[in-house]
Amino acid sequence: MTTVLQHPAYEEERLQRVAEQLPCRELQAGMLLSLMGEPQHYSYPSIFIYGHRASGKSHVMHVLLKELELPHATVSCVECISVTLLFEQVLLSFFGCDAASLLPRSPSLSDFVRVYRQQCSHSPAKETRYIVMEKAELLRDTDANLLPALLRLQELVEDNVTVILLSEIVWDKFRPNTGCFEPLVLNFPDYSKGELQQILSQDRHPSYSAEFYSSYINILLGVFYSVCRDLRELRHLAALNFSKFCEPLAEGKVKETDTHKLWRNIEPHLKRAMQTVYLREVSSLQWEQMQQMEEKETGALRGLSAHTHVELPYYSKFLLIAAYLASYNPARTDKRFFLKHHGKIRKTKFLKKNEKTSNHLLGPKPFALDRLLAIFYSVVDSRIAPTASIFSQISSLVTLQLLTQVSHDDQLDAPKYKCAVSMDFICAISRTVNFDIVKYLYDFL
Amino acid sequence: TPRHATPSIPSRTLPARQPTNVLEEARTRLHVSSVPESLPCREQEFQDIYSFVESKIIDSTGGCMYISGVPGTGKTATVHEVMRCLQHAADMDEIPPFHFIEINGMKMTDPHQAYVQILQKLTGQKATADHAAALLEKRFSNPAPRKETTVLLVDELDLLWTRKQNVMYNLFDWPTRRHARLVVLTIANTMDLPERIMINRVASRLGLTRMSFQPYSFKQLQQIIMSRLNKVKAFEEDALQLVSRKVAALSGDARRCLDICRRATEICEHSGADPSATGLVGMSHVMEALNEMFSSAYITAIKCASVQEQLFLRAVIAEFRRLGLEEATFQQVFVQHQALCRVEGLQPISVSEGLTVCQRLGACRLLLLEPSRLGVLQRVRLNVSQDDVLYALKSE
Repeated sequence: MTTVLQHPAYEEERLQRVAEQLPCRELQAGMLLSLMGEPQHYSYPSIFIYGHRASGKSHVMHVLLKELELPHATVSCVECISVTLLFEQVLLSFFGCDAASLLPRSPSLSDFVRVYRQQCSHSPAKETRYIVMEKAELLRDTDANLLPALLRLQELVEDNVTVILLSEIVWDKFRPNTGCFEPLVLNFPDYSKGELQQILSQDRHPSYSAEFYSSYINILLGVFYSVCRDLRELRHLAALNFSKFCEPLAEGKVKETDTHKLWRNIEPHLKRAMQTVYLREVSSLQWEQMQQMEEKETGALRGLSAHTHVELPYYSKFLLIAAYLASYNPARTDKRFFLKHHGKIRKTKFLKKNEKTSNHLLGPKPFALDRLLAIFYSVVDSRIAPTASIFSQISSLVTLQLLTQVSHDDQLDAPKYKCAVSMDFICAISRTVNFDIVKYLYDFL
Repeated sequence: TPRHATPSIPSRTLPARQPTNVLEEARTRLHVSSVPESLPCREQEFQDIYSFVESKIIDSTGGCMYISGVPGTGKTATVHEVMRCLQHAADMDEIPPFHFIEINGMKMTDPHQAYVQILQKLTGQKATADHAAALLEKRFSNPAPRKETTVLLVDELDLLWTRKQNVMYNLFDWPTRRHARLVVLTIANTMDLPERIMINRVASRLGLTRMSFQPYSFKQLQQIIMSRLNKVKAFEEDALQLVSRKVAALSGDARRCLDICRRATEICEHSGADPSATGLVGMSHVMEALNEMFSSAYITAIKCASVQEQLFLRAVIAEFRRLGLEEATFQQVFVQHQALCRVEGLQPISVSEGLTVCQRLGACRLLLLEPSRLGVLQRVRLNVSQDDVLYALKSE
């Protein structure tokens, strides 16, 4: 707490309350306050605020507008899948539901401006009205005229209105090609480690002392700060793992001040959390249950990504294997891998690979149906007729998204496919049919 | 809420002011909307159209005529004058009475609206496009006693093009009906329009009665202005000749010629402070007006651009030279820009400022840019020739 917010238009007490709710954002809040000026003054037509996720953009705006009781409309551009919803929400929060019902069924921008001006003439703004657009980057995908119009809405509707755009993307990627009114660009910088510590330490558990909780946060940041600076994520992790941290204390093994022992206890636990709960492999609920069940080792539970086993028919497995081989092997090596008598092997020449990058790094390559079937017949030992069921299995592999069709121009005549499964998956499949796939892969020669 | 509001031009409350001096008098006479009684230099074309329409009216048959010519060669004015003369002749009972209607492709929201407008002007009926087409079809194919010849003028024919070309087809097919008594005059800008956009059955029905209006020569332009001014002494002879020569060399557009003359009178009026002026529009005024009209706005824009913008354009050209291509990404140009900044002894600008400069130039169309969401990877092209940019940057 360095400076308390100051502004002549608002009472000291109220500003004090605002400042309490905005730790480590005094500078930005003060800047915004001075931009907004006194309520009856005209503010800048549009302000663009950008910063990383969870850097307090929405929170600061929300607290400022709420505590100072300024008329405002908060619109999330994710929710507004059409401009109709956006216009309705703005009118609703400024003029009540009568105004929103005045809009025609699919309103254009000029309808909105007309209704706004009409309402505005009945109830002119005594204070600056604020429209806060969250996730403003989605405005670029709407009609081309919407963003430029919002930027100079003050001019259009001739009302004391300010549009505030919040986004994670810099302004340079917003600017329309035909130019527009330039908003005032503000940046919210990331929280530093100290600031994160300060904010996270605020929501401490009431039954433990503040120093105890802050030492816990210190350990947590020590583990997670290198991979994650997202305040929301860190707060979530802190809440999840705190009960584990307190366990030795409840058992009476250590005292609150014995930081080193507490650290020894929690550190491997947090490391494991990074691999499981942070990646959402194990849900938070499962994680909490696991903490209660002592005997069951955390992380022993199979996460989401371990559930990649799919039951497939016998020939579908071979089709998938053939597709994988066709995708990751160059076509010129097919003769060597899949033909019995393919002539003399010049061992020295063949074994030496001159490609520098492996095909597994470049990703799968498309192959024709003919090649897939040729490899399929070669890898399956028994004789199989090319029945309708084999071909329908190929197309059902496509619907299962294990294969993808590459070019859509010709469905029947020589379609091309790509194999869309990972190495681990195909190894698991080939183990079930006793097929050694690694022997047939050119990359692993 | 005004749901059915029709846009309209505010009406004039005071009558138009009478011209007080020679220059104002000249300006009203030179206004494009004050079409003179007779059109000079188009006598031959007038005669051709007149005799074509007159013969059709007298024989009570139908036919089509296609009139082409670049803008400002007097196509519409000539046809209107023909119709005025014919109307006059019909009033004097020299020829049988006829009905004249006019449609303009530019004034329609949809090509099929042509049917609606024709029907409304013929009978005053209102109908949907399909219904109107059916009614017109019936009207033109069935015999009726006491039917007058209809003369239909279709301006901006190329806008009536549809994918199946049924509007054009009908317009040219009706005159060939035995009982139609319809004369269709069509106007468009390009000479080879029938060959280019019409399918064979439409082009063949249009027929071979074609007329093309040549651009005016400088003598004709001079004559037009002289006839407009009609003894009002406002211009020096040489000034008029300069205007007409310049315009004739570029386009031969009479409207542009009149515009330049009117602008020159304005310039003359504003510079009337010095006593040495004779009160006539002289060479210098005309030169100034010509420069205003014909000089490229791009060069002026580059000359007035900020230092960083000019530097950026220079960087674009330097990068094009290095690559040997006419296209580069912003990234590549920006490296050149930074180097140029150092050479010029300026503080190198940040990427964000560089993008702002680039997108400002793109917004005034000096550069052609891709959507800004591509960031530093957007490709940059010049919308003006490199020589123009170099010329504008050099003359400082």
